[in-house]
Amino acid sequence: MNKRYLIGGIIALACVVIGIFSLSSSSIEYANLGKAEQLGKTVQVVGHWVKEEGSKYNSATNEFTFVMRDENNAVIPVVLHGPKPNNFEIAESIVVKGRVENGRFVATDCLTKCPSKYEGNAGDLKRGT
Amino acid sequence: MIGQIVIHVLLGLAALTSLLFFAGYKRDDVMPTARVLYQVLTFGLLAAIGMLVINVVQHRFEYTYVQSYSSRELPLHLLIASFYSGQEGSFLLWTTLVALIGLALMPYARKHRYEAQVMSFYGLILTFLALLLVAKNPFAFVWETYARDGIANGFIPANGRGLNPLLHNAWITIHPPILFTGFASMSVSFAFAMAGLVRKDYHRWINIALPWTLFGTAVLGFGIMLGGFWAYETLGWGGFWGWDPVENSSLIPWLVSVALVHTMLVQKRTHGLVKTNMVLAVTAFVMVLYSTFLTRSGVLGDTSVHSFVDPGKFAFWILLAFMLTFSVLGAVLILKRRADMNIRREEFSVTTREFMLSIGGALIMASAIFVTIGTSWPVIMEVIGQPKVAVNIDFYNKVHAILLPLILITNALALIVQWRSTPRHLLQNRILWAVAISVGTTIITVVLGIRDALSVTLAFCAWFSLVVNVQMGWSFMRKSPSMMGAYISHVGIAILVFGVITSSLYTEMHHVIMEIGKPVKVAGMTVTFNGKEQIELQFKDREKFAYSVTVERNGETAVLHPILYFSDFNRRMSPFLEPGIRWGILNDLYVSPKATEYENVFHKTTVQRGSTFVMPLDTTISLQLERFTMPMEEGQTPDGRMQMAAMLSVPSQSAPAPSFKALTRIGTGAGGPSFDPVWTTIPGTHYDVALTRIERNNADPTKSKGEFAFRDGTKPTPVPKEIFTIELSVKPLISLVWIGVITMVLGFFFSIVRWSRMARVQDGSPS
Repeated sequence: MNKRYLIGGIIALACVVIGIFSLSSSSIEYANLGKAEQLGKTVQVVGHWVKEEGSKYNSATNEFTFVMRDENNAVIPVVLHGPKPNNFEIAESIVVKGRVENGRFVATDCLTKCPSKYEGNAGDLKRGT
Repeated sequence: MIGQIVIHVLLGLAALTSLLFFAGYKRDDVMPTARVLYQVLTFGLLAAIGMLVINVVQHRFEYTYVQSYSSRELPLHLLIASFYSGQEGSFLLWTTLVALIGLALMPYARKHRYEAQVMSFYGLILTFLALLLVAKNPFAFVWETYARDGIANGFIPANGRGLNPLLHNAWITIHPPILFTGFASMSVSFAFAMAGLVRKDYHRWINIALPWTLFGTAVLGFGIMLGGFWAYETLGWGGFWGWDPVENSSLIPWLVSVALVHTMLVQKRTHGLVKTNMVLAVTAFVMVLYSTFLTRSGVLGDTSVHSFVDPGKFAFWILLAFMLTFSVLGAVLILKRRADMNIRREEFSVTTREFMLSIGGALIMASAIFVTIGTSWPVIMEVIGQPKVAVNIDFYNKVHAILLPLILITNALALIVQWRSTPRHLLQNRILWAVAISVGTTIITVVLGIRDALSVTLAFCAWFSLVVNVQMGWSFMRKSPSMMGAYISHVGIAILVFGVITSSLYTEMHHVIMEIGKPVKVAGMTVTFNGKEQIELQFKDREKFAYSVTVERNGETAVLHPILYFSDFNRRMSPFLEPGIRWGILNDLYVSPKATEYENVFHKTTVQRGSTFVMPLDTTISLQLERFTMPMEEGQTPDGRMQMAAMLSVPSQSAPAPSFKALTRIGTGAGGPSFDPVWTTIPGTHYDVALTRIERNNADPTKSKGEFAFRDGTKPTPVPKEIFTIELSVKPLISLVWIGVITMVLGFFFSIVRWSRMARVQDGSPS
């Protein structure tokens, strides 16, 4: 009886320690652009692509650049390492992961809302006619 | 209208069936009616699917669901598949699969004298699913859905939005139904556990439920793998697994179910772990609901690639209530019977199979808990009022770098030891042999190129598990092939682990920029972009190009065909990309298209409004950029695109210098607006100029810039060459991932046969 609980306890404890350690080293905070600049560390920012500013992929450097606007209407140029994300143009919003360096947001990752799960809207409906 | 009525009737029917089965605990006479009602319910659900499919196939776009997920252009198989491509339809598919499985479960449970108890809980599950269908109804009309947007009653849209092109392939017809069959099967173990609790029968249910639990685990595992394969083969994610919340949400119930299979075996043999099995059977099902809640309620909104839109308040609360009801139901019943279940307490000594299996179950549960915490972390932080936080995917890799070796070792040890007790000399002997062989094979692995500490550790553990399983499996092959299931599955897991090591840690990736026809050398490979060909010309809603890329590697030549697919779905603004793959047993060559553009063949210069600049082709000519015109002044081109112009003048010419227009046509192509030059001759010269880009300065329009291209009108215009950028990767032994999972699933089916026979034989005696 004792042995069983001892071993179980050790495993549980080890798991808790591993979990806390891994979680604390892998968490990435959500922030707006202002906070991202202030923190200077890797964060995630939710926002929208500023369409009027266009976007550009540089194949030589493998960098995709665009301008994003966060929920507080702050605007920043984004440099994403990698090509243009799928569904970039039709994304309802985007989430970039990275940090602010010299007034630019250097992103390692960019998520776009997946249109397969889009609910349509009335505008789409009328265009179809 | 009929569709909506049917859904409501089905809800009533499900509730009534469930109630009748509950009444059947005491009264046998209600059972025939309950059975018939259950069958009617199942056929009603099938009819609802039939109606939905007919709506889709007949392009009845007055239905919001049909309008949202299909279009006239879709071929028949995709039209049929689009019935479960949205939330509403996928709930309908799930519900129907639960009902269909119940059709087989009902006579089975009856034979084992469990029918009323099992089917009452099963019916309760169906009732909640039907309630979800009422909330997320696939038969709503567009004027109901968009009532606030002023859509008039009876309005019929001409075409639907269509199906996301990423889903346009055979996988969508296979992956979701299999995955949902797996999800649906999780209901069965739950219903049996509940029935066992009600009947105060804590052991017999294990015998009866085991084949079903194995079936659910096998099918769900296979479904998850198909999803990974789809992602690899079509979506070009490069890998087969990304720890995305939607992927995790199917993995979590699978892990719990795998743990359950092992602890059920322990109980069968030793009558221990009674409560554990109850808890796990409830958990596996509740995790299906929890995962559905996480991924379908919109709470994870920003953290998933698959992101789901908020399904509406009603559906949100039903999902939450669904999950809470069954958690509470399970917890209350287990707590109520707690003392009762404690009658017999089993002590496991360490060197026994039951002990090792328990540890294995605990480790698999630890994995499930970590994945759950990781996936839920943003929600947990929000609920406890902390700033929102996401979990980087390296969290999952870190915890599994520790858990996976432990699980593999435990698996091997569980087979080395025996039930009840293991003689010491036997234990030492077996371990010694297995370790010796594994060390040998690990050294070979290191010689073959696996070098880093993590990979070597994992490889050793996988070999250890593989060696033990092959030894044991071999010895059973002659005696009784049906006993081989577990060994086959574990061998599959070990193979999968090798595939994971090689493909995730030893994949070489190269960024290659290719001009058409010019070979590029990369890391011993010669890569050539040969050109492209438009395919699927019969479809008017798309432009799809198969690119041709030749890769020469170690004297072998492979031609790969990555695909760029411009679709009306996103108004052809940017292509959907599909990888080109050369499949191989030893390695896959994998080409992900990244971008395509045309080389710059013109002399270009960028100038600010108001400034004077020198023409690059002839420095004796200077030009002045006066202003930009607005699109309205230029009118539309014949193809309906906007035009803009820059007003230029040649200041050296007689004052006031006449101004002329350099035009551009604005298109919406890849990467935002594109500018196609329209050539104008510069007055008094043989040079042409065109506007190729406008960089607007919104704060101060007088500081806007324009980019101009120039060419010599007397010389033939050079044809720009296409430049194709790819990511080329060599993925060693990724085939092992697929082979491993298929082997594992195959093993499950051996076990299903074995334990179904056992259930038939053992259940002959009353418990």
